[in-house]
Amino acid sequence: MELDDLKNSWEAINKQVDNQQNLNPQIIDKMTRNKYNASLHKIIYPELIGTLVCFASAVYIGFNFGKLDTVFLQGAGILAILLLVALSIISLLSVRHFNMPADVSKPYAEILKAFAVQKIRFHKFQQINVMLSYLLLVDTIVLMSKFFSDKDISDNKYFWIFSFPLGYIFLLFFSKWVSKKYNNTLRQAEQLLKELES
Amino acid sequence: MDKKETFITAIKANEGLIYKIAAVYTDNTEDRKDLVQEIVYHLWKSFESFNQKSSLSTWMYRVAMNVSIYHLKVAKRKVSTIPIDGEAINFHEPENNDLEDRLKRFRQSVDKLNLLEKGIVMLYVENKSHQEIAEITGISVTNVGTKISRIKDKLKSQLTKQQ
Repeated sequence: MELDDLKNSWEAINKQVDNQQNLNPQIIDKMTRNKYNASLHKIIYPELIGTLVCFASAVYIGFNFGKLDTVFLQGAGILAILLLVALSIISLLSVRHFNMPADVSKPYAEILKAFAVQKIRFHKFQQINVMLSYLLLVDTIVLMSKFFSDKDISDNKYFWIFSFPLGYIFLLFFSKWVSKKYNNTLRQAEQLLKELES
Repeated sequence: MDKKETFITAIKANEGLIYKIAAVYTDNTEDRKDLVQEIVYHLWKSFESFNQKSSLSTWMYRVAMNVSIYHLKVAKRKVSTIPIDGEAINFHEPENNDLEDRLKRFRQSVDKLNLLEKGIVMLYVENKSHQEIAEITGISVTNVGTKISRIKDKLKSQLTKQQ
């Protein structure tokens, strides 16, 4: 439809909507008293639980650091702590993506700009997150075999033979999936931002 | 009249506005109900800060459209709103499917537009002047004119491609 056709169609919609009376004072009153953004909490809680798990794991490694008896294992321990802290921070920053701005009565373009910036940041964080998670997975296998069965899996040549090619294949597929899934969204957000800044 | 009563009267008077904005930003009745609830909640939350620098309708459009953008993200994650005190609000369904069909066709036509353009179209078809659109969106009046003519071209070329 062209813009003027849309206007005509909207006039018909207007007439039909005006005939509808859905909200009575009691319903409106209830709406003002309930925290509807509770739905948002359902999204935020798993992210927060993830963050807590990461912190708890970092603390566990810290407490058991004494069991790591070679320089390699100690390096793996430090790397794991750093990765867990980084993942927690990324997760917390991702949660901010879902936050409604404090002042929702600001001009639409201003909120859209904040929205586009958050969207771009969120997708970048997500990409970094998955990459770091893979590194953490490999690192965790090394550490867990030491912590739970007192074996240094890094001595096993098959571990390295498999972990690197598998990691490469994973990253190859992942980067293709990311470019397919996210590039369009990112491009749209970046275009919108450009338009808003012009 | 106390603050709550004033608010309820304002919402009742602008119920159609809230419903229409929710209908443009959602594509099913469940999401629409959630969005209407969320818009009313945020309108109430920011009612205190409404300083009458802008008109009531400008403020309502801003809040409703801004909440809609954020609701889109939540809706995409397939999360539904909690019912009020255990009971869901039952909106009357349209008397016939005509309204739903019209809304669907409207959404399909603006689907390829970005969120800024979608907002401008929404205000344009609501017969808002360029000045009012500028006030609600926060872009200049000249820019509103430029954007509307670009949107016209976009919709026209979209139509040509479909034919």
